[in-house]
Amino acid sequence: MSEPKHARRRYGAMAVYHLHLSNGAGYAEDQEGQDLPDLESARAQAIDGIRSVISEEARRGMIDLTGLIEIADPDGNILLIVPFKEAISLRLDG
Amino acid sequence: MIEAHLLKLRARDTVSSEEEQAIRDAIGEIREFPADHVIIRAGELLHFSTMLLDGVICRYKDLRDGGRQITELHVAGDFADLHSFTLKVLDHNIMALTRCRVALVPHENLERITESFPHLTRLYWFTTNVDAAIHREWEVSLGRRNAIARLAALFCEMHARLEVVGLTDGMSYTLPLTQADIAECTGLTPIHVNRTLRELRERGLVQFKSGRLTISDWQGLAAVGEFDPSYLYIRETDV
Repeated sequence: MSEPKHARRRYGAMAVYHLHLSNGAGYAEDQEGQDLPDLESARAQAIDGIRSVISEEARRGMIDLTGLIEIADPDGNILLIVPFKEAISLRLDG
Repeated sequence: MIEAHLLKLRARDTVSSEEEQAIRDAIGEIREFPADHVIIRAGELLHFSTMLLDGVICRYKDLRDGGRQITELHVAGDFADLHSFTLKVLDHNIMALTRCRVALVPHENLERITESFPHLTRLYWFTTNVDAAIHREWEVSLGRRNAIARLAALFCEMHARLEVVGLTDGMSYTLPLTQADIAECTGLTPIHVNRTLRELRERGLVQFKSGRLTISDWQGLAAVGEFDPSYLYIRETDV
């Protein structure tokens, strides 16, 4: 079998973004990173990831919106923070 | 060259030396592909089936929004598309997930096998039935299981299948997939996969690092993933 590969280049010019997740369950460091065209795509990935995590929480009946995702470059510089709250809108009354 | 394939078949039934020679004679061109290379596109007319010699390839379908659902992983020794022998065109794509080497088996050679080797033909039919069983298991995961159970089931399945072809080292095996690949297998997102991998690690079930997966607690992992290997039919069967 071939050697482990790192984030791959699928769509031409790309950069590696690390999307670290932090919420009530703890901190999940993204050591591997993802190859994405730009920071806006990384933010879209973060939003999509948050919604995926929340959807499972919803099925269990407890949604934790206190978390956040840090988008960092390979040197560890944090480029953007995406709070879970930014990923959804809630309607709580009539 | 086809040792993994023979191991896979012989884990299920006897393959005579004449049948083994018939398989060897059916092998055509050998090709190598880099990771991410689409080997076969849905809808293209095929005159050969593709046997994986080493690496990992997948069957997948694209979605309009750019998403992708991987529907099965293939390991060394598998035919990625024995079903193209009868279907002629695939309803899904086939892509290399790692660098890989494949053997092309022309359909006319498979036809000769069906004409001269009825038992081997039944054994190949059996293997496509096992592929269907794997699809059913993934369907259950995707439709009903939560994230941690989906990953647990996948990691148990890969261990069982790689063990058959001699590619495990105890409870450890090479799984050179990215979080994005695993997300595409399990209907999750890379972030969700990363968080779920952390949960598996914290529960003392699995470590996944640098493309190597180590199962720390097989019973625990199998329980979380509701893994019952009977759907892989890894047992002596008289087909």
